[in-house]
Amino acid sequence: MYRYDDIDREMLADRAHEFRGQVGRRLSGEITEDQFKPLRLMNGLYLQLHAYMLRVSIPYGSLSPVQMRALADVSRKYDKGYGHFTTRTNIQFHWIKLGDTPDILDDLAKVGLHAIQTSGNCIRNITADPYGGATAEEADDPRVWSEILRQWSTFHPEFSFLPRKFKFAVTASAKDRTAAKVHDIGLAIRRNRDGELGFEVMVGGGMGRTPHIGATIREHLPTHHLLSYMEAILRVYNRHGRRDNMYKARIKILVAALGIDEFCRQVDEEWAKIDVKSIDLPDIELARIRAAFTPLKFETLPPRSDAYEAARESNPAFARFVRNNVRAHKQPGYAIVEISLKAPGATPGDANAEQMELIADLGERYSLGDIRVTHAQNLVLPHVKLDDLATVHAALATAGLATPNIDLVTDIIACPGLDYCALANARAISVATNIGERFADPDKAELVGELKIKISGCINACGHHHVGHIGILGVDKKGEEFYQLTLGGSGAEDASLGEMLGPALSYDRVAGAVETLVDTYLSVREGDERFLDTFRRVGVAPFKEAVYADPH
Amino acid sequence: MKTITANRLIDGEVVFWRNGAWVEQFAKAELFYDSAALDAAVAAGKAQPTVVVEVYPIDVTEQDGVTVPVSYRERLRALGPTNEPTHGKQAQGGPEIAALINAVGSGHTSGRIDLLRKN
Repeated sequence: MYRYDDIDREMLADRAHEFRGQVGRRLSGEITEDQFKPLRLMNGLYLQLHAYMLRVSIPYGSLSPVQMRALADVSRKYDKGYGHFTTRTNIQFHWIKLGDTPDILDDLAKVGLHAIQTSGNCIRNITADPYGGATAEEADDPRVWSEILRQWSTFHPEFSFLPRKFKFAVTASAKDRTAAKVHDIGLAIRRNRDGELGFEVMVGGGMGRTPHIGATIREHLPTHHLLSYMEAILRVYNRHGRRDNMYKARIKILVAALGIDEFCRQVDEEWAKIDVKSIDLPDIELARIRAAFTPLKFETLPPRSDAYEAARESNPAFARFVRNNVRAHKQPGYAIVEISLKAPGATPGDANAEQMELIADLGERYSLGDIRVTHAQNLVLPHVKLDDLATVHAALATAGLATPNIDLVTDIIACPGLDYCALANARAISVATNIGERFADPDKAELVGELKIKISGCINACGHHHVGHIGILGVDKKGEEFYQLTLGGSGAEDASLGEMLGPALSYDRVAGAVETLVDTYLSVREGDERFLDTFRRVGVAPFKEAVYADPH
Repeated sequence: MKTITANRLIDGEVVFWRNGAWVEQFAKAELFYDSAALDAAVAAGKAQPTVVVEVYPIDVTEQDGVTVPVSYRERLRALGPTNEPTHGKQAQGGPEIAALINAVGSGHTSGRIDLLRKN
């Protein structure tokens, strides 16, 4: 993992000290709320319905056990003993006191954590493939490039006050686990026919009020030009992005307005003016950052583990866990383990302090000190020996963390919604748990197969509803909670935006409607089609007919 | 019928206006039947910027002899999150909390509308 150096540590300590002064001046009345609000937001502190919420950055979703324990400590000392992992791979604490926040930032800074780039119109926390450095599918380790982007973007003087927030995702595998095509910039690392590494650069994707799938602006950007080319894109956006209307200020609106060809032309024109040598990363610096991620001390192991095979044979619960939560590792004898934060009845993405500490212990003991957060609000132990899998599974099970449902119907993304968020129209969490109850039988969930349900409590789409195989959006009808369903979205490599099913449904009807959608899918699916494949083949009509046939 | 709500500056706690000060329980909130008195109290509340933030009036109504917020969002603020029944004010229990939980009906709240306008 990348370790902060003395300059980084000093900067974090300074930042926390600076915020302590700002909070003091706000509490004494020396500065007004209007003056203070942008300062607290720059430190990830929002005022929500019941308390302040502190959003802590987890750059490219990568955590050390020490950092995970520090998050558990924060949750216990300053919150109600839990945290909420988000679709930006950050963590949020929902019961924070303004007066405690400087102390929290101090505590976080001691372990290299902070709330920088978690709010405001800057380049936000970079997200990346949670299997980075572990999967054989990848062309390169996306964490290396994410860290480079983090260092370039943090406090970038030119891009700290953009027209609107700006989100990057970095993937390096054919299978996209980052939703790259619905980010302001999605980067896919690939090798060209000559074996050279480069980035497919996708721009102008996004969700929210006006969803767009990102368009490819460059098929193969040589990696050594990453920063200068990003600088050119950001400059064009910074210059022409709309500042008069926050709903039209994201880069997706600019790209759509100009057209991708004209946008590309302007970026190239800007790039030509840039002294690339002054911006692009020197090879020596690239080597320094790359060295922080490699090599891990993998043991030389046979690809087959007798202990693992025996456990799988004798323990059906472990076998189910392996089928759904364990993925192939690049190193023989190792596996990638996904930890679901979607247990039946649990709030999607929530982990309590004891769970965080257990995961820290397991990460330290069994995963080479490496823990990841996924954009689907789950966690990953990326480097577990096959020999240790049964032990890890048993330990997870003791803490309610062995739910075998990754990418299944109960692995639901949900934003905090109206239960916490000041912007929300409607609840999302209880909609998720209501649906989860309908599919509590794990056999049924496996029979249904891959089905990604994503729920947002408002049009800002923190729950990624636009790209859910089934998307659920909370809307406000005269102050009542209603839900707009969409079908056929995908945030993966086959990205698409969902198609509206029909009129919004009342809160009480949503879980039943999802069950009807699934039953309809099962009745018409062919072969091993996923829900998404079936929808793409048959269209919305049979689903619509089934859901709206019953007026109750 | 209205009352006035805000969040306490130091900790974000949801609070309600009562005779020039702020209380944590909705059941103790001062009720306003007169717009002039309401406007004066809102102005007085906003004049305490080191005590509270986001001061705004909310509609309330009477259901089964108990006063409750009209808006579901405001009932939720007065109770706590539905996914964690032991968190927030609802954890205290009692008949006043039960009345809020059992209240029905809906309406818009100026809290969210103002927030969207400001953003």
